[in-house]
Amino acid sequence: MKKSLLLWLFMALGVVQALAQTRTITGKITDAKDGAPLPGVTISIKGTNTGTLTGPDGNFRLEAGQDAQALVVSFIGYETQEVSLGNRTNFSLQLKTDTKSLQEIVVTAQGIVRDKRSLGYATQNVTGDELSQKSEPNVLNALAGKVAGVNIVGSSGAPGASTNIFIRGITSFTGNNQPLIVVDGIIFSNDLDATENTLFGSQPANRLADISPESIESINILKGPAAAALYGSRASNGAIVITTKRGQQLTGKTEVTFTSSVNFQQVSGWPKLQNQYGQGINNDFINTTTSSWGPAFGTLDSVTTSWGERVPYRAYPDNVKDFFKTGHIIQNGLQLASGTADNNISLSVSSMFQNGVIPSTKFDRNSIQLAGNKKLENGITFNASINYVRSVQGGVPQGNGGSAAGQLTRIPRSFDLIGMPYQDANKQSIYYNPSQNHPLWSTEHERLTSKVDRVFGNFIIGRDITDWLNVSYRVTADVYTDRRKLFLEIGAARAPTGQVVEDQFFRSELNGDLMIRAHKDNLFTQGLNVSGLLGHNLNQRDFQNSTVFAEELTIPDFQNPSNASVFSQSAEVTERRRLVGYYGQLNFNYKDYLYLELTGRLDQSSTLPKDKNKYFYPAASFSFVPTTAFKLESDVLSYLKVRGAIARVGNDADPYLLQTVFAKAGFGNNLASISFPISVGGGSIPGFQPSTRIGSNTLTPEFTTSYEGGLNIGLFRNRVSLDATYFYTRSSDMIFNVNVSNSSGFDTRTTNVGLMTNKGIELLLNATPVRVSDFSWDVSVNFTRIRNMVKEIAPGIESSAIPGNAFIGIQPSIAVDQPYGVIIGTKFRRNDNGELLVNGATGVYVPGEAGQVIADPNPDWLGGITNTLRYKGLSLSFLVDTRQGGDIYSFGMVDLKNTGALEITAADRDQPRILPGVIEVADKQYIPNNIQISAQTYWGALGGLASEGAVFDATVYRLREISLNYALPSQLLNKTPFGGLSVGLSAHNLLFYAPHFPGDPETNSQGAGNIRGFDYNGAPNVRSYGANLRATF
Amino acid sequence: MKKRTLIYSLVLLLAVAFAGCKKYLDVNDTPNNPTNVPPSLLLSSGLAGSAFSNANELNRFAAVITDYLTGAGGSPAAYDIYNTNGADFGNQWRFEIYGGALIVYKKMIDAADAVDAKTYSGIGKIMMAYTFSIATDTWGDVPYSEALQGDLELITPRIDAQENIYKGGEGIQSLFDMVREGLADLEMESTSTPGNDDIAYGGDVAAWKKAGNTLLLKFAMQISEREPALAASVINEVLAKGTGAYITTNAGNLGINFGASTGSQNPVYFYIYESSFRNDLIVSSRYVSRLQALDDPRLEKFVTQPDTAGYVTLDNGYRGTLPQPTSNWSRWSTVITGANGVGPVKLLTNAQRAFILAEAELTLPGINLPAGATAQSLYEEGIRASMLDAGLTATEIDNYFAARPDVVTLSGSTEQQVAKIIEQKYIAWTGNGLEAWNDWRRTGYPVLPEHDNAVGVDGTRPVRAQYIDQEVSRNPAFTPSPLPNVKVWWDAN
Repeated sequence: MKKSLLLWLFMALGVVQALAQTRTITGKITDAKDGAPLPGVTISIKGTNTGTLTGPDGNFRLEAGQDAQALVVSFIGYETQEVSLGNRTNFSLQLKTDTKSLQEIVVTAQGIVRDKRSLGYATQNVTGDELSQKSEPNVLNALAGKVAGVNIVGSSGAPGASTNIFIRGITSFTGNNQPLIVVDGIIFSNDLDATENTLFGSQPANRLADISPESIESINILKGPAAAALYGSRASNGAIVITTKRGQQLTGKTEVTFTSSVNFQQVSGWPKLQNQYGQGINNDFINTTTSSWGPAFGTLDSVTTSWGERVPYRAYPDNVKDFFKTGHIIQNGLQLASGTADNNISLSVSSMFQNGVIPSTKFDRNSIQLAGNKKLENGITFNASINYVRSVQGGVPQGNGGSAAGQLTRIPRSFDLIGMPYQDANKQSIYYNPSQNHPLWSTEHERLTSKVDRVFGNFIIGRDITDWLNVSYRVTADVYTDRRKLFLEIGAARAPTGQVVEDQFFRSELNGDLMIRAHKDNLFTQGLNVSGLLGHNLNQRDFQNSTVFAEELTIPDFQNPSNASVFSQSAEVTERRRLVGYYGQLNFNYKDYLYLELTGRLDQSSTLPKDKNKYFYPAASFSFVPTTAFKLESDVLSYLKVRGAIARVGNDADPYLLQTVFAKAGFGNNLASISFPISVGGGSIPGFQPSTRIGSNTLTPEFTTSYEGGLNIGLFRNRVSLDATYFYTRSSDMIFNVNVSNSSGFDTRTTNVGLMTNKGIELLLNATPVRVSDFSWDVSVNFTRIRNMVKEIAPGIESSAIPGNAFIGIQPSIAVDQPYGVIIGTKFRRNDNGELLVNGATGVYVPGEAGQVIADPNPDWLGGITNTLRYKGLSLSFLVDTRQGGDIYSFGMVDLKNTGALEITAADRDQPRILPGVIEVADKQYIPNNIQISAQTYWGALGGLASEGAVFDATVYRLREISLNYALPSQLLNKTPFGGLSVGLSAHNLLFYAPHFPGDPETNSQGAGNIRGFDYNGAPNVRSYGANLRATF
Repeated sequence: MKKRTLIYSLVLLLAVAFAGCKKYLDVNDTPNNPTNVPPSLLLSSGLAGSAFSNANELNRFAAVITDYLTGAGGSPAAYDIYNTNGADFGNQWRFEIYGGALIVYKKMIDAADAVDAKTYSGIGKIMMAYTFSIATDTWGDVPYSEALQGDLELITPRIDAQENIYKGGEGIQSLFDMVREGLADLEMESTSTPGNDDIAYGGDVAAWKKAGNTLLLKFAMQISEREPALAASVINEVLAKGTGAYITTNAGNLGINFGASTGSQNPVYFYIYESSFRNDLIVSSRYVSRLQALDDPRLEKFVTQPDTAGYVTLDNGYRGTLPQPTSNWSRWSTVITGANGVGPVKLLTNAQRAFILAEAELTLPGINLPAGATAQSLYEEGIRASMLDAGLTATEIDNYFAARPDVVTLSGSTEQQVAKIIEQKYIAWTGNGLEAWNDWRRTGYPVLPEHDNAVGVDGTRPVRAQYIDQEVSRNPAFTPSPLPNVKVWWDAN
């Protein structure tokens, strides 16, 4: 095998020589119906990227290599034709209207390739072209705004920061709600491991970041359980099936593709700040305060800093802006592919270097992939790929208080942040606030580095037993280590005695799948084609995290645990889970207009009680194409499909939930705490305590049932197509840690409870409003509206915290009759008319009411419009999208308001003002508030932390993506070694407009996961723009 | 033929796959957590848990409302105007008392009984009784006989009346009997004995017996107002065992030791010196005035004076501008917190024992004091023990006794004598607000004027804590809680 792969490689290199000679091919394309010339038809040489479009008269001219074997002629709304070249150089072709609509081939669950019209459920295909060269190195971010039913929100603009993705909403109270990621058949970890508390930490990547968008051929999004059921339990959240570029479309030739891009990044969404008033409180200068309620500029010449230096008192308009640098992203990729569909090999290498806008943040990714397939003469096929990725991420701690990002919203307007020294000779921070660190000091002396080494690959061996039966076995593996080091220098606000944390993660997932496939045409009756699949899956997932937590450092900048004296928080966690699955699928296709698909899967999981560890879940879907069945096709209605699906997916538990165990003891919180082992009298004393959770050996799987129905309509020869879906999912018996009475000695008990529903509408509209000679305009519109509702939690329980880090009094929660993830905090008090109650003595709001729902992070709807304009080799594409509604809870904006830094706080600052609201003068009798208060009191009263005042409507409109590409005409390339050459400009997140929030509300500082809607002083967002190049040889 | 072979081998493969499953799936025993631990790993954490129960948030609450400290911010400032409700002390109930020390002792006793490590069982029962007393003294009627059995399907334990907790009742073992059972265990052979896992006594079983008997005295005194006869009989039961049976030296104090390094420090120290909440507490002006009026030499031992101009303190309930800089504030000294927070957190003391016996002699019928002991001698013994503990020399103590005979001599009515005893006991308990709060509720001493700006339920000092919100919402046995102005059972007057 190895030898023959090598041989191919040598042969492939030899073939490159043959490319120099070309010949000219001309011809005319007309409509088969009326003979009219067809402008804008794509003519390409099979297996290459070389191609052209027909002119207004339907004529075309193309340079083809001597080895070119066939032309592919395609045009939207018409059947694609392939003609072999032979020795001919002139062609006249007639195109027939495509009666089968857009015959779109999609990769569905378990790698099964299907004609899209046969599917009874919604999927959406995104091509690699829509993701690559878009100034965005993260696949998930590049998908944002393009897919109906999918909600994608990045954590921030920090390099590598994780990105949240939910398909059709959230279906489990506490489980992982991210979709399953499958890359070339490999179940691919998109896990996010936290080293620090997510309220304060830097933002580590979730591991889909290890895939370069440039390497992607296509992504198919399987939106619901029905589509993904064959993948098993994790499919209840849908699946993202990624196919990488493998050169399988080649026809015996060798192709080398080189891509390169450089992009620049700038901070985006930093709110406008005032420049009229400096540091201080109540119009007095105070050199240690975070506030800018000091004297107006011009009233004081100079002031003394908290460290005793005399400095001018003036505004530094760009003091925060200048903290950020211009980031850059440099990406290069080279792919070498050779062979035919049955015998090919490809080698890809890619590299990406990114430096973020915050000093000392970066994300570098280098990867190599070797893949190939081979069909032996005896009919046995081999298909294999192996990938190695190295990703290095450098981040700095973020969050409230002691971090750079936590300080940037608290810089007085008169503080010269960048112009003054930030550390002394002993490298200790110099800052206006002695109990915090200068942001530049923080970025230099506090950092988290993550080094991921990842190997993933697959090996498939298969054979056609007869012409209707195929057997294959597939082994896939995805293994990585993430070696992290967190260093907080002595003097760091969060760890005054310093900290070194060596945090190592290991994850591995192995899958073995036996698949027996059968296909028979005209079974039982003419026109009934049946195919079937039987499969067996063995799955093993391993996880290990070992942490050396070293505190109380002695030697500055010595980043080694040997520098420490306290290690009591060191720990190790190992997890292993296994699953055995049996699955089957039966597909019926009656005369290409009626389809039925039945799927079943039986899983047996190691994480459930041994005697009850098997669970079965079925799915059924149908689709019906009346336009074909009743021959209804016309130039207006070209295609109509009605579809429906019902599916149920079972989900097992996490490992080790069945037992009640002991854990290392610890008491207290940030008020005071100890953590065993404790050092007493010179000795280290270990200690244990029962864990707070009661295990249950009667756990059963949780189930999600989904119903969906939809329509696909093609109009005007499919120049307009609409894909509409309505879905309803119902999740029940969720595995959940229910609160128990604490006097029982425990806090929670793992059990099956709850009921949650999602319903939603997804629309995808594609249209080609203009298509004339050399010019075309395509529009793609998507729309998503999802309503989630928690119907029941557990008997007697009205709300419960979502597991994860939370500030006291700002609790992301599940609450009965509320959508998932509402934030419970302190709400302003209002009278029966909903007017805010003001204290009649002070003129500020009366103390709020704790324990109330104050924010809902779920957007009302999402929409995106992509316009693509093509003129000859030039194409311009831009994506505008919007998120309507949903709330963001922002510490940053509260800081900027309360400290008087925001621009609006300077307007008429010397004028007294009155808070909107009413004063209760007698029982239930109110007068409008008429008490004048100062601007400082006014802006302070509008909301402190932990209150409704920190909640903003997150509605935003965004020019998410714009790209301009120019493919050089093939005539120009004739004398060059290039088969194709294109250059382009692109930008991501160039502009946004958020009507109700001073910054960019699309942020999620706690990272990917079930907790959403917080801006806890995370890194800001960025806009990226740059240039790119693609060349094929 | 070839085809058939292949199909057969497929069938075989599937059969093997099925058969191999059972073992393949048997991987769900956690490697991360033990399902059983020896008693020695539970003793250390149980004792630390009891110390947190006593010395963390409940202590800050009690120390503020009994005028040791003033709340300058955060929750202590709320306590300072008597404000407390069901949102308070959740962590104490959940993770220090029931889900902390108590469940640890329960598991330790089970583990120790299983291997006849009776010393551990004995210590466990004594400390379990102590920790339950914190719960009932603070909240009144609490889960007791059905508590701590969540892993046995008892997830909503019933509430037992405080009277039954102290005295016993139908199916309810009294706290006295729990201690007695512990003492009996300590008399038995034990397959293993504690060493440095015993962060109180380092494995000294004799010391634990004395602590157990002293705890009986504390319990007896606590219910003496309501049950004088029972109290007297328990005290006489202990006295009958001889002076070697209970704590009679400062070295015999039951104190939980902590460490000086991060993550090992006692909560009193960490809160006022290390935490970001350290400026929420300042020593009360009332406390300083009280000790200054008595010329008490312990004042400068207990309270720091960073400002050369004198003590920087605040009156309880004060709502004005705080004194600056906070680095000059008077706080508890290392006499209370230990150097760098090593503690100990004192739970039972020699001085306490002497004051209890002195008070018992005056107020309870038929107390059989050891030969030669009188209320006066015990009163003096208590003061001396406390002053020695505070770091004063014998000479300094003698000088004080000579200078202030009015203070160290019991005189006047029984009531006046009790007032003196409890005031001295209050000074001796500096740093342990709960004990002072217990005594004040029981006796009304020391006399504590109401705080400025007091709010509370009706402007009076809280005499109990309200049930925590979580427990009320999770356990149907909890009807709406009595408010903080409702007395507990033993608080008869």
